[in-house]
Formats: sequence, C-alpha cells, structure tokens
Amino acid sequence: MSDTLNPTAAAPAQAAAAPAKPKRPKAKSLLMIGEQTNALFENARLAKERGEKVGWSASIFPQEIAETLGLNVLYPENHTAGIAARHQADPFLQECEGPMGYSNDLCAYAKLNLAYTAVLNGESSVELPDGGKMVKPDFLLLTNNICNQLTKWYENLARQLDIPVFFIDTCYNPMDYVTETRVRYVRAQIDQLIRDLCAFTGKTWDDERFKKVMEISQRNSYLWERANNLMDHKPAPIGGFELFNYMSAMVCNRGKESTTAIMEQLNAEMEQHIKEGTSTFPAKEEYRVSWDGIACWPYLSHNLRTLKQYGINMVASSYGKAWAIQYDDLDGMARAYCFASTNGDNASTMLSRRYEALTRMGCEGTIYHVNRSCKVMDCQMMEVQRQLSKMAGVPFTSFDGDQADYRNYSEAQFETRIQGLVEVMKQNKEAKSNG
Amino acid sequence: MADLQESIARLQAACRDPRAQMDRYLAQGKKVVGCFAPWAPEELVHASGMIPMGMWGGHTELKSAKSYLPAFACSIMQANMEFGLNGAYEGMSAVIIPAICDTLRCMTQNWRFGVKSIPAIAIVYPQNRRSPASTDYLISEYEGVLLQLAALTGCMMSETALCETIRIYNEHNRTMREFAAAAAEHLDVITPQVRHAVFKSAFFFEKSEHTAIVQDIIAGLKALPVCQWSGKKVVLTGIMCEPEQVLDILADNGIAVAADDLVQESQQFRADTPETGGGGLKRLALQWNERYGCSLIHELGKPRGGELAKLCAGAGADGVINCMVKFCDPEEYDQPWLEKDLRAAGIPCASIEIDQQNASFEQIRTRVQTFCELL
Amino acid sequence: MYTLGIDIGSTSSKAVILRDGRELLAHQVVPLGTGTIGPEQALDAAFREAGIAREEIAFTVATGYGRMNCAPADAQFSELSCHAKGIHYLLPGVRTIIDIGGQDAKALQLSDTGQLLAFQMNDKCAAGTGRFLEVMAKVLNVPIGELGPLSAQADRPAAISNTCTVFAESEVISQLSAGVSAANIAAGIHNSVAKRVAGMALRLGHPTSLAMSGGVALNTGVVSAMAREIGCPVQVHPLCQSAGAIGAALFAWEKQMKKEGSSNE
Repeated sequence: MSDTLNPTAAAPAQAAAAPAKPKRPKAKSLLMIGEQTNALFENARLAKERGEKVGWSASIFPQEIAETLGLNVLYPENHTAGIAARHQADPFLQECEGPMGYSNDLCAYAKLNLAYTAVLNGESSVELPDGGKMVKPDFLLLTNNICNQLTKWYENLARQLDIPVFFIDTCYNPMDYVTETRVRYVRAQIDQLIRDLCAFTGKTWDDERFKKVMEISQRNSYLWERANNLMDHKPAPIGGFELFNYMSAMVCNRGKESTTAIMEQLNAEMEQHIKEGTSTFPAKEEYRVSWDGIACWPYLSHNLRTLKQYGINMVASSYGKAWAIQYDDLDGMARAYCFASTNGDNASTMLSRRYEALTRMGCEGTIYHVNRSCKVMDCQMMEVQRQLSKMAGVPFTSFDGDQADYRNYSEAQFETRIQGLVEVMKQNKEAKSNG
Repeated sequence: MADLQESIARLQAACRDPRAQMDRYLAQGKKVVGCFAPWAPEELVHASGMIPMGMWGGHTELKSAKSYLPAFACSIMQANMEFGLNGAYEGMSAVIIPAICDTLRCMTQNWRFGVKSIPAIAIVYPQNRRSPASTDYLISEYEGVLLQLAALTGCMMSETALCETIRIYNEHNRTMREFAAAAAEHLDVITPQVRHAVFKSAFFFEKSEHTAIVQDIIAGLKALPVCQWSGKKVVLTGIMCEPEQVLDILADNGIAVAADDLVQESQQFRADTPETGGGGLKRLALQWNERYGCSLIHELGKPRGGELAKLCAGAGADGVINCMVKFCDPEEYDQPWLEKDLRAAGIPCASIEIDQQNASFEQIRTRVQTFCELL
Repeated sequence: MYTLGIDIGSTSSKAVILRDGRELLAHQVVPLGTGTIGPEQALDAAFREAGIAREEIAFTVATGYGRMNCAPADAQFSELSCHAKGIHYLLPGVRTIIDIGGQDAKALQLSDTGQLLAFQMNDKCAAGTGRFLEVMAKVLNVPIGELGPLSAQADRPAAISNTCTVFAESEVISQLSAGVSAANIAAGIHNSVAKRVAGMALRLGHPTSLAMSGGVALNTGVVSAMAREIGCPVQVHPLCQSAGAIGAALFAWEKQMKKEGSSNE
C-alpha cells in the first residue's frame, strides 16, 4: 500500500531521531528510491504530454498488466501517504469535508485524493503543494483486495473525472485458501480486462514481455521478502521504520528493473551492516517489536522519537510483506492477487502470518496502530490480538492514530501506551533472565 | 380474510418481538437460519425447508461487542454482535454473513470466534457484475452455502423445492410492490411507522405466510376511500429508517412516506428472480444482476440521485430524506453525489442520522421539522 | 397587533414582542433554559418592557429545544427556521448564517425574503461548539468571555490539531507546559473551532454575505477566525442572541395574518 517518504522528508526525520550522531550520509538505496519516484511521476507527465493515456491504480492491482502494456500508472494511496507524511494534508481534508460534503468518517487516503482530484478537475482552488505532479488520469485500475472503500472511492473518481474503471473483483477469502471458483472468476476478469484495456489505450499484449515482467516481479518480491527477513538478526541491521521508505518501489514499481537494482542494493547494505555488527537504528536495540497496521504517516517522527527513547526497534510489520506476491502464470497471478493483503486476512491467516513474523523476528511486543481510516483492519483486530498474544506469549499495546488524517492522534496517548508496553516487556525480560 | 387492523398489528408485533416469531417456528419443529443485513440468499434457506430470519441489529446496550468492534463500526453490526454474544439469537442453527463491506468482512471472523454456538456461513457476492464469469462464481458461492447448511443442519434442498421457493419469493416481491402502491393511496392508514412495519416484518415470517397477511392488508386498503394527503410527502433513501421514534417524528410533522428506496425495505423486493434461463441456482444468481441503487453493490456513474429524482416525480413527493446509518462508509461515499444530483433536479433533500443505540431524538426532531418547514 | 416569540434553549430563554410584525417592542434574554423558571422570567420581563398585558398577544410561537413543552404557544417552529427569519429581520442583506451555540453548530442558507433554503448541522460532537470553548477556557483558567480579547494578543497562534475535544484538551495542556502563551493557545483554539464549523458551512456553497449568531458569536476571536477561514467578512448583530425569538414572533404574525385573512372570506 503506501509509503513513501519523499527521501528529502525522510532525512529530517532521521536527523531528528539521532541528534547526537553526526549526520549519516544517506544510504545509496534511499537515493535510488528518490530517483525512481521522481522518474515515476515525470514519465507519467511526459506520457500525458505525448497524448498517451495515463492511469491511476489501486495499490495491489496486478501491476504486471500495466507494465506489460507499457502504460504509465500512478498510485493515489502512495501519493496521499506522501502528502500526509509531509504535513500537507490539512487543506485537502478541509476541502473534502467542507465544500465537497464528504463525511470525516472516510479513509483519509480517499479524502485527500478526492480533494486533490477536485483541484485537477478545476473544481477547487486549494493549492497543490507538489504542483500537480499526480497528473489527471484517463483511466482507473481497481481491485478490492485491500478493502471495499477502494471500490466506492474509485466509483466517485470515475464519475468526477468521467473516465472508465477497469475493475478486477478479487473476492474476499473467508477460508485459509483461495477457492478454484475464485481463481476462475478472477482469471476471466483479468483476460477481459487486458482486452478492454488494450482497446482503450491502443496498446497490444505481448506474451514474451509479460513473461519478462513476471520474472522481474518475482525477483523483486523475492528480494523484498529477503530484505524483510534479514531483520531477524540481532541487532537488526536497520531501523525498521526505514523499510517504509521502500514501499514505493514495491507498490508503484514492482515490475521494473529499477526496483531490482534498489532491492539488491538494499539487501547488500543490510548484509554489510550484519557483517559489521552495525545498524542504522539510532540507539541501542533494547526491545524488538512488531508493528501492526499501516504506518501513522503524519506522526512518524514522533513515533520514532518515542520508540528510540526506549531502544525499541520495529523489526516486523504486518503489511510490508504484503507486496511479496509469488506466482508462475496467469492463473497463479489470479490466485495470488485474490489472496493478497487483507483479502487473505481471515482471522486464522492473519494469526499465522503474524505469529510467523513474531517468532521469526524474535519480537517481544506488538504495537497495534488503531488506524481510524482503516475499518477493514480495526474491526477484527481486537480478537486477533487477543489470540495472537496468547499464542505467542507476547504483550501488545494499541494507540489511536490515522494513516493520513493528522487530527486523529494524541502524542500524550502514544507516549503513555509505549511506556506501558515497555514496563511489561521489561518485566518479561527480567523474568526470563532470572530463569 | 383478516381485519386490516388485525393484520397490521400482527406485523407490528413481529417487528417489536422477532424473538417470539423465531420461538414460534422453533416450536413447530422448524430450523431457523439468521441472515445478516443487508443481503443474504434467503431462498437457499427456504428451499432447504428452514426459516430465514433477517438480522438488522436493534436497540441494545453495547457491552460485549466492544471487545470486538471499535466505536466507529456501524450500529447494525454492533447490535448484531451484542445480540450474538448475549444469547439473543440462541436457537438459530447458523447465520449467513455477506462480506459486502469492510465491517461485514470482519464480522465473518468476529462471529466465527465470538459466537461459537451459532456457526457462521460467509458468502461473498460478486461485485463485477459486468463479467459473465460472475454468475458462475456466485452459483459456486451458493453451493458453498448449501453445503454448509446441509452439514450443519442435515437439511438439504432439491431443484423442485428451489423452483417453488423462487416462485414464492417472486410472488412475495409482487405483493410488496402492490402494497407500496396501495399504501401511497392510503397514507392516513399507512403511517410511516405502519409502512415500515409491513416491510420489515417480511424478515420475520416464512415468505408465503407474509404474502398472505400483506394481501389481506391490500384488500382491506382497497375497500377504503383513497386518501388525499394534505401534508408533505417524502421518499426515504438509505439503508433503513429506524427506530420507531424517527418514524413517529415524521408523522408528528405531517410527513407521509410516499415511496422508499431503502435497502431494508423496497430494495429487497424490486428485483425478481428470472423465471426462465436455467436451473434454480443459476436464475437466483442472475437475480443479483438485477439489483440496483444500493451503496453496497458496485455500480458506475453514481446513479442514485437520478433514480431518486424519478421516484420522487412518480410518487408525487416533495423531497427526499436520506437516512444515513452512522458510520456506514459506503453510504458516505454516495451522499455528496446523491445530494448534488437531487439539487440539480430541484428536489429538496435532508439527511438524518440513523443510530439504533440513540437515546435522544431531539436533534432528529429539529432536522425533520426544519426540513418540513422549508419544503 | 402584538405577537410573541419565545425561544427556549438548553441554557437560556429569550422572549420577543413584536408590533404589527415590524416593530420590536421587547427583547429579553434570561440565562436559564428549558425546564427551569427561565422561560417564565423571560416572558415576565418582556411584558414589562413592552408595557402590554398577556391577553393582548394575538399569537404566540415557541421555538428552541424546549418548544414542545411551552404552554402559552399557539404553534412551534424549529429554531433553524426562526433563526433564519430573525437574522433576516436584523440584517436583511445576509444570505448565510453560522450559528454556534453551547451544544451544536448550524449553518443556514437564506433566500432574499429570509426563507430558509438549506441547512447543515453538527449536533453530535462537542468540537466546534461552545462546549469546546468552555473546556479549553477552563484549562487556560480564563473566563470564557475573555477568550476573545486574549486571542487578539497572539503573535503566533498555536496549532491545535485534534478534532476530538478530549484529545484537544490534552494537546492544550502539553502546549501550556511547553511554555506556549495563553494568548497563542486561545488563538489556536479559535482557529480550530472556526475551521471545523467553516467546513460544515461551506457545504452550502461559498457565502457572499455572512452573519454569525449564537452565544459563540460574542467571541471576537472566533468571529475573526471564521472570517479568515471562510474568506468572507462576518457580521454580528448586537441582538443576534434574540434572533430565534424574533423569528418566532414574525412567524406568529404571519400565522395570525393568515388566520384573519381566511376568516374574512
């Protein structure tokens, strides 16, 4: 799903987190991310200028399709996460909840994007802090494997901009697996979508190119998962929050060779740290925790500062690995995308994924972000947390936040909750060492 | 043929005490399967010889549900969860839960672990109805439901039974539409509260029984002189208009419900199952494609406002009241477009908040009265 | 012909007597609301001020939270309709009203004749109402009436990001202990209220002529913040608190005229 700290915004966050150390030169992989992100937006802009059709896509739509067709596609979730992280969300929230008449109950990514779209459409005069680099789309690519709000959001965009939606209904999986009936339905939709998209954009499907894109995507998924798994070392080779920076590669550029380069570089950097026993985490790693839920983008630096105070490193997260999508052919792709993200989050799968992460990474606690924007996670998390905590014997705490709406957060609450978690983790640690 | 008022009273009683209805069927040796709002394949339950009963929440104090749902989950799900946890549904053989919105998705899991005494059967309706493959997919979902029902209850259906059920449900649909038309001519007798009771009670009866009662009501109405309503007439849209106090506020202000576009009411009865085109399950799957104007069912173009404008014109309504269930996000996405299109058509529209846990109705009273004053 | 308008709110009662639907003979405000002796006191005071007897009233309209339980009323209208009419009487050029009371906030859109065309309400949440300001005034240890002048001294208004009153309170406390001045915090609080209510009001479209009323309209800080936020000057009439009662008295006059008109046929 989203990410994206604009690397220049990330630097101040990191600098603020480690005031005593001399400013570290930025990791090469991060510089590459910055270049890649700039290229993504620039290429879309240039494509539009050439009169080509440009799209906006849901974050776990099969990117292989657009990549194979050579279409430029941007990602609203990712883009709005960036707006939120750079504290530019306010005028969009005001616009969306005010003149546009939307309820504040909605997902903040949608709220920001709908307002941004109103500006692109000439219906609002809010100033675009990025100058409109998220160019107006000619079509939309939609899957609902993350949530149902995406479907409604894109319905609204389609009407607002009078553009078509190319939709793959990826049905929720109440079982621990994807039924063959779902695979057939999703596959049929993929086949039709490719035909329709070609007709609309004038592009042609090339099986060889698709094979190549699949290979690249598989490699990138493998490398991304590998990088995430390197966090199982003690101490972890990087501060876990930094992995959020690489989301844009996996969300927006998953089928590109530039991502392969970034992922190889990231793996190399992490291996180097492991070899040298160093880490980019700005304090001594006292506690290892997992983070459940999307990042609280508007308050990353406060989160980091607070965690750093206690030496808490986030070594596992529930949604980073969501973009490690593995398959060999179109049927496999149908199955994989049908099971991706929260679509594959019936409680038992959620539990097994988290349990695996907790135990593999040696986590001593979980921080659960009750993300006001995300009902699809929040409405089943209490039960999952209860069971997980029992299964893994690991304490958890939760805090109220939001992925993009900065008004849903209390610094005091976060600090108190983390302090509480630390007390329990400390007790557990001492009990363990006393035998 | 029963007396008009007796029939109405029977339906009102069913709405006020659905549990008594359930007990009645259980005492007859029938099995009951709960059907979560807003959409469930009742026909499969009925064809298997069991009684489907709608689960549309209700007024209750939320205690146990708070361990499963955060404050910003809609009140229908909160109440269903609370009732499930406190035993209000005990006796049901199973519940069917459609994973049609984010909160409902989670409910399949919350119920799975929270209410182990009543097994949950999840169904995931297709949202890409333009894809021909969606029909086969839905048929397979139905078969999954049937298998689970059979395994849990021992009750199975036959093709003959399903066809008969479809006939019964189509007849019921027709009857309800006939009632809506008759009600519009007798707004003195069919007050907002009575109208709601006639519609909602359909969830608590075996369908052919309900058809018979409503037919009695229609006959009773037709024997009365047509009422020329002198007050304001509105069309209600949204998920549902409850509780009774809200309906009474409409009546207090001389507002009659000329027609409705509520998911809980007319939307349930306006799409018939095709009578030809394949076996029962296939035709039932095709019925899903006929549904429209529901915020939970994917449609392009935001057509609700336009549809409502037509409905208003046909019903001679002065305006639309948008009944917004609190925290219902699909509805919240539709709201600005609906209002915009109605404004463009020159039709006044006001929103009221629907919250079954609401204790005070003063704010709604003020809004409704104000709306009435500006009509 | 004399008509009477009574506005029984949750925390205050207002009574207005009008002659011939035009001339304001009396307007009284008592800081006691529904269920208290407030309404009776307001009535007494209004009759004394007008110098007429109760029997001389041709028609009485009640409005406000307590309108359903007002014995002398011949009819009752919602406070939104009454308010619209009342402000139109006081400020005929105004087409949008923002009314922030103790418990709720409303935005009203009027026609040229003072008829209510559309409205928006926030009646569930304390944020953006007088309640929010009360809570914050307490934290700042400042009488609520002084928040306005205090905020005028701000040189760098604090950012209060939380829309939840409870969380915002904790934010204000943090800011105070971090040494932010009360003046800057007061300004921040006013901006927060203005933003929230402006958002609601803008759903009715961008106003061309705007007035504020309700108890919070007396807070100069909120008024200037609102003007900035909406980008439109804000008028506040000194009698705005009585606008509901004035509108009620006007409705009473219309009702009586209609009655007399039809009885003459």
